[in-house]
Amino acid sequence: MDKKKSVDLIKLEVLGSINDKDRETLQTLKNEGEDFPWKELGEYQNLIAILPLSLELKHPATELKDKTAKKLYSIRDQIKAKVDAKKVAEMPVEIVESASETLQEIEFQEEVTDNLVTEQIEIEEKEFAEVEEGFNVDAEIALGKKERARSSNRYKEKSESESFFKQPEESEVREPVKQAIDKEAIEKITRDYIKSHVERELISLRDSVNKNKILNFILFAIAVILIVASFFLK
Amino acid sequence: MSDLNSLTDAEIMLKVAGYDSKALEQLYDRYAPILYTLIKKIVTDKETSEEILSDVFVIVWRQIDHFDFKTNNVYTWLVTLARNKAIDAVNRRSEKILPEYNDDYEKEYMLPKLSPEIETFQLSDVMNKKEKVEKALKSLTDAQKYVLELSYYGGMDQSEIAGKLNIPAGTVKSKLQVAFGKLMQKVSEA
Repeated sequence: MDKKKSVDLIKLEVLGSINDKDRETLQTLKNEGEDFPWKELGEYQNLIAILPLSLELKHPATELKDKTAKKLYSIRDQIKAKVDAKKVAEMPVEIVESASETLQEIEFQEEVTDNLVTEQIEIEEKEFAEVEEGFNVDAEIALGKKERARSSNRYKEKSESESFFKQPEESEVREPVKQAIDKEAIEKITRDYIKSHVERELISLRDSVNKNKILNFILFAIAVILIVASFFLK
Repeated sequence: MSDLNSLTDAEIMLKVAGYDSKALEQLYDRYAPILYTLIKKIVTDKETSEEILSDVFVIVWRQIDHFDFKTNNVYTWLVTLARNKAIDAVNRRSEKILPEYNDDYEKEYMLPKLSPEIETFQLSDVMNKKEKVEKALKSLTDAQKYVLELSYYGGMDQSEIAGKLNIPAGTVKSKLQVAFGKLMQKVSEA
């Protein structure tokens, strides 16, 4: 293979100025030749990448980091799917060949699943605690700013993007645990509310019913006395 | 963040591959200025440049699986990715007809395909080469420098440069090859 020809085509490819015919030739050279100058290709790729060093360094706006974080936050579901797929791909898969092996494998998988569930619960609890801690910190910052009412929406939006960099893989496994704990908390609050407000109202209702009964009885007695009195007067 | 500061670019990339968002933030802090400088040179307007820079980091996050952890050349991978993305944006803004931008297109045309035998580069090492690069560029003739700029920052192919300069495409091709070869020779000199 003509090394010089390869290197000449490499220069054009690396610069992005190669035409279709030359690209095809270069691809053939890459596919065919064991002695393709890969080292030279790497050197030219590195050379082209250091050209921007000659430019005067410019800095992007500081707000861009937040904007980028927001963009990344918006693709969290996509990333979650990737992470899940990765986890599934990493799980051990055994080929079942006989009935006894099948049984053994089922038992083994049950054990593994149990362990995984236990581990996952521990991780979830830990991560949820961290998230809760993070929320508290954010709340304190917001209080410190004394802009609660005016900037609550703005703050929520900002904290979402900031929390992307602060809390990796936020959406991964925390939601179900958080929801379960939320449910418990809501039930507790409801019970407390019933206890403190409704029960008190029931007692006062019962008292007023009793008072009404007494009043009715007194009115009835007065009415009876009046009837009897009018009878004697006649 | 202080722990991440002491890590090499390759170690940071490894953490990014584990979807560690703090590692990505560290990568952003290190690389945003150089990538933005390059993108701004290609695209020229500030707003679009920032948009592209932001997109580059989204691509890194999404396509981290395609980074070659054997060669571990973070610097060249990121700079090439930023350049590809910026050139693509310029082409889409012009009248060029391009395929729809989707995941397949991104993998094929945006993600760098670096040589398996490439030397590992990281930002801190590369910054020391600034003076050498400037000297090497000064050694080129004005015409060589111009075609190189039209190609690298303008994203023009041979026929486009030939049309712009009103010279044969063959001449452009040889000028680019000679200029790039000379640049390599000068940079390689001790």
